[in-house]
Amino acid sequence: MAAIEINERDAAAKSVGLKLGSITLAALALPGVCVTAAQADTPPESAIVSVKVQGYNDWQPGLDRIKVTAPALYAMAPFAGDWSIESTLVQDSISGASPRWHSSISSASNMRDRRTAADVKLSRYFARATVGLRASTSTEDDYRSNAVALDARFSSADNNTTWMIGAGLTHDRINPVNEIVENEKKRVTDVMIGVTQAWTKNDLVQLNLSHVRGRGYFNDPYKLVDKRPRERDQTIALLRWNHFHEASQTTFRSSYRYYSDTFGIRAHTLQTEWVKPLGDRFTITPSARYYTQRAASFYFDPVYDPVIGEPFPVGRPKLSSADTRLSSFGAITLGAKLDWRIDSKWVADVKYERYEQRSSWRLGGDGSPGLATFKAQIWQLGVTRTF
Amino acid sequence: MVLTYDSKSHVWRAQFAAMACDCELLIVADNELGARDAAVAAIDEVRRIEHKYSRYRADSVVAEINANAGGASLVSIDEETAQLIAFADQLFAASDGLFDITSGVLRRAWNFKNAELPSNALIAEMVALIGWHRVEHNAHQLRLPESGMEIDFGGFGKEYAADRAASVLIERGVANALVNLGGDVRALGHRGDGAPWQLGIRHPRVDGETLASIPLVNTALATSGDYERFVDVGGVRYCHVLNPKTGWPVQHWRSISVVAPVCAAAGALATIAMLKGTEALPFLREQGVSFLAVDAQGAVSTEATLP
Repeated sequence: MAAIEINERDAAAKSVGLKLGSITLAALALPGVCVTAAQADTPPESAIVSVKVQGYNDWQPGLDRIKVTAPALYAMAPFAGDWSIESTLVQDSISGASPRWHSSISSASNMRDRRTAADVKLSRYFARATVGLRASTSTEDDYRSNAVALDARFSSADNNTTWMIGAGLTHDRINPVNEIVENEKKRVTDVMIGVTQAWTKNDLVQLNLSHVRGRGYFNDPYKLVDKRPRERDQTIALLRWNHFHEASQTTFRSSYRYYSDTFGIRAHTLQTEWVKPLGDRFTITPSARYYTQRAASFYFDPVYDPVIGEPFPVGRPKLSSADTRLSSFGAITLGAKLDWRIDSKWVADVKYERYEQRSSWRLGGDGSPGLATFKAQIWQLGVTRTF
Repeated sequence: MVLTYDSKSHVWRAQFAAMACDCELLIVADNELGARDAAVAAIDEVRRIEHKYSRYRADSVVAEINANAGGASLVSIDEETAQLIAFADQLFAASDGLFDITSGVLRRAWNFKNAELPSNALIAEMVALIGWHRVEHNAHQLRLPESGMEIDFGGFGKEYAADRAASVLIERGVANALVNLGGDVRALGHRGDGAPWQLGIRHPRVDGETLASIPLVNTALATSGDYERFVDVGGVRYCHVLNPKTGWPVQHWRSISVVAPVCAAAGALATIAMLKGTEALPFLREQGVSFLAVDAQGAVSTEATLP
């Protein structure tokens, strides 16, 4: 907290229209007693540094598979009054058995030992608007991704409504170690619009619509039979509702997400979480998520043939994939997060999530046959310091 | 901390206990999470000051200074404490020695629980331990010259905490709020409905009644009164506002409320005015603040800017 400046004292004197007595002047000189009032839409006042470690491992009956440990560093600092800069650095280290080919959840990128990702975002704050520019990069042995994105937020005069628009461009370059392709590319452009409305003081509603257009190489180069279209357009709608229940001092956050793409996948996600303070120091947030999707049109069921053995798509289709992520399935995630506000500067958090995916959990129809139940767990430990 | 929304005045109300009193923050915020984040940060600040300067905690700054009273060496003090000491020094000078942060020793003579008066000998013994002018201090160090002497920031600690809590709210982006630490109040901006914050002044004799309602916009209010702790002996009220020179309670005023730009000033001015007796009102006028004073007969004096 900055000590008071002489001009702030003068401002305080003018604001009350009085000639200040000696004792008032002495009190105004106390540290942190008189700071200048904030504007309606304010840039952050304090810098933040946060360190998180996330772990992930998954398994199928009788088979432990991928294990990932990912430390992440986040830093944000305000500067020059109306600006802030923030940056994230992540490094994924992957170990463990490579997945069974027909029910992999690993993308090509996850097959690698190490991924390093970094992004930088610059924000400029105006009276009723914020504009942000983000650049990011992610590097692996066989996959390189660079992206830029621009977003803007505008608030209404009463601050009850916020509009958002955003656009981004991603350029990927793929050089698999098996050299099945060389110097392949993928370009993705996306646009997003959104509106957030304070419905009542206790209810916040948000609607976001995104359209993503992708062109280029979508195959998994490490899968035996994997031929996907070179175009993928996605449409996503997200509806969120946050409600604060005074009697229980709990915030209920709910969301529904609709996803559709030109691969033929249709997916629905329902999520809820309850933010419950436990005294002033702790907050517990249990969460539950249900996800269901219809398979991509070129997905084929990896059912073992008694004669041929390993599954192959019927006929010689132009497009085919047995990637589980393109199959029909349902999934449930249950988790909880505990935040501990140690003091005004330090916050620690711990999170645990358990994920389970089954064909039979698909909503409104049978899921893809021949897939083993897939389970994963995710944990996270974090500590955040405000300056 | 319990957070509720008051739909009449459009504010979030965070209630909590700190510094041995009931406290509340009224915050104008877009949503619960914004209000909660700001409230928790402000309450943390109040608790930080409470811990740092509590005379009941052995690990507090004040306890360390008092434990070394009469010792040979100076006790090092941090920057914040040094500034509070400097403020106390100015209050001592401006009040002709009536506001004295070493006067807390009088608590050993006056406990306000038994309806009997302490002996003159005991009071004299305690008065002998009072005297800010005898305290050796510079910008980074302080030493109480005599064993048994003590300092405390009870005279403005809560008010300072109210100001600091308000600053934390501002830093969290809150422009309109009211900090109320057991009657020591700092107001930022307006209520959610655009009206000024309204504070009732407690009637010094009729519990639950108010004498006046004062609108506050970007200003602070504090009251000093004879009704919080007192004993009645032989029909005379002996209250907790004690003159450090005589060791006896003041009797000229029932209560004095002061409106000043910040709470630390309002609280100190209200206390000094109580101690000044007949000189109180000229002193407050000279200090350029608004006030409402109730004398021992119940007559009310106010300065023009109060309704």
